[in-house]
Amino acid sequence: MTSYVLNQAISQHHARNQRWGFTWAIWTAILWGAWYVPGTALWYEHPYVDIAADQQSLRLGATAVMTWIHAITVMLFLLLWNGVLGKVRDYGRTIVRFRKISKWYALASLCGGPMAIFGSYMAMGFVGPVFAAITSLFYPVVGAVIATLWYKEKISRRAAFGMSIIIMGGVVIYGPGLFGEMDITNNNAWLGYVGGIMSAIGWGAEGAVAARAMDVTDPDVGIQCRFSFEILFWGLLILPVLALFTDLPIWSLIVATVTGGKAMLWIFLAAACHAYCYTAFYKSFSLIGVGRGEAVGNLYAVFALIFIAMFTLQLPQWYFLVGLVLTVLGSFVMFAEPAESIAQLRDHGPVEEGA
Amino acid sequence: MKLHQKGFLLVEISKATSIWDSDLITRALKEYGLNGSYWVNSLRVALDELAAAGLIVRIGSRLDDGKEIAPGALLFHWRLSEFGRTRMRDTGLLNYP
Repeated sequence: MTSYVLNQAISQHHARNQRWGFTWAIWTAILWGAWYVPGTALWYEHPYVDIAADQQSLRLGATAVMTWIHAITVMLFLLLWNGVLGKVRDYGRTIVRFRKISKWYALASLCGGPMAIFGSYMAMGFVGPVFAAITSLFYPVVGAVIATLWYKEKISRRAAFGMSIIIMGGVVIYGPGLFGEMDITNNNAWLGYVGGIMSAIGWGAEGAVAARAMDVTDPDVGIQCRFSFEILFWGLLILPVLALFTDLPIWSLIVATVTGGKAMLWIFLAAACHAYCYTAFYKSFSLIGVGRGEAVGNLYAVFALIFIAMFTLQLPQWYFLVGLVLTVLGSFVMFAEPAESIAQLRDHGPVEEGA
Repeated sequence: MKLHQKGFLLVEISKATSIWDSDLITRALKEYGLNGSYWVNSLRVALDELAAAGLIVRIGSRLDDGKEIAPGALLFHWRLSEFGRTRMRDTGLLNYP
């Protein structure tokens, strides 16, 4: 009888952890989808609205500026989060251990920030936004492959099947728009293709690299470390290089953004979404693994279209419903995986000795 | 400067052949001057994350009779896995004083 009650309690414990892991991953998708509204609106405000679509280098410079200011604002929201949770001291204790631990967060910030975001903007600028969205959808495959090869994360057949259905759903949502976007006469399109590959590899690698440090650190603290490093990369390396070695008006873009009330309002809203989206993202990794967390996070494709439809009052096309059904189905396939099988995420033996 | 909390938990587990989570939590609360159910649950989540990542292995479990954390609470007995030892070595935690 005691053994039965104990086994029941253990089973409920695993189920609760699994439920929390998927809940965090779904919050990632919701907030990521919501982020597209202020993220897109920002381009319609001064100084960004004044940049012509064909001024590619200026657009990329402006992207670097907005990403840096955005990262600083995200950092403020994360400070608030960790302040409320009482984890600010643990942040200090973690980030100082750079040589052995927090360097992995620095590398993750390079993968997710300059590589993935910059690549995504290249894909948008040289091919189109639909192409950029589709290539980004494949990042869980990259993440799952790296996590499996690097530290033997277990991806069951059911999880792989669920991931495939979610990715297919995303492709169905964005795919038809791709035909109106591809232009074979565009000689610079290859830059967009390279950018698309950069974004998929960058975001996929970020989860796997960050998980290396998260093995021994707290995910709430980890995400704050990751953004601290991103701020430093943009602010001390990339922006100064752009300001010194190109004729891009980096400084005046920074001043115009910070003093422009509407631009800052959108950055503030985008940063709130992004800060807690990323927090949920990292928290899901430690409970359900990088592959599953990233795959469920891919539901952002659905939420982005829902939020955009709510704010623009433009209903999505019929094939959105097909994509929606596929992505939701894929999520259920993954969620139906036995909780015990993801109580131990890696192939280093079972979580319980003798099990 | 003190070690970060998850690092502290790993170091304490590595020092013992095996250890119950109630003992670990008591030590962590004392180390960081914390108290209350929020921190108890926060540390238990950290242990679940370490187990999910394969760094620690559960070698036993029992229900709390009310003397440890709370009546009916699930208690786990942990030990460091070989992978955990490797990861501690990689991250400089194994030789932490």
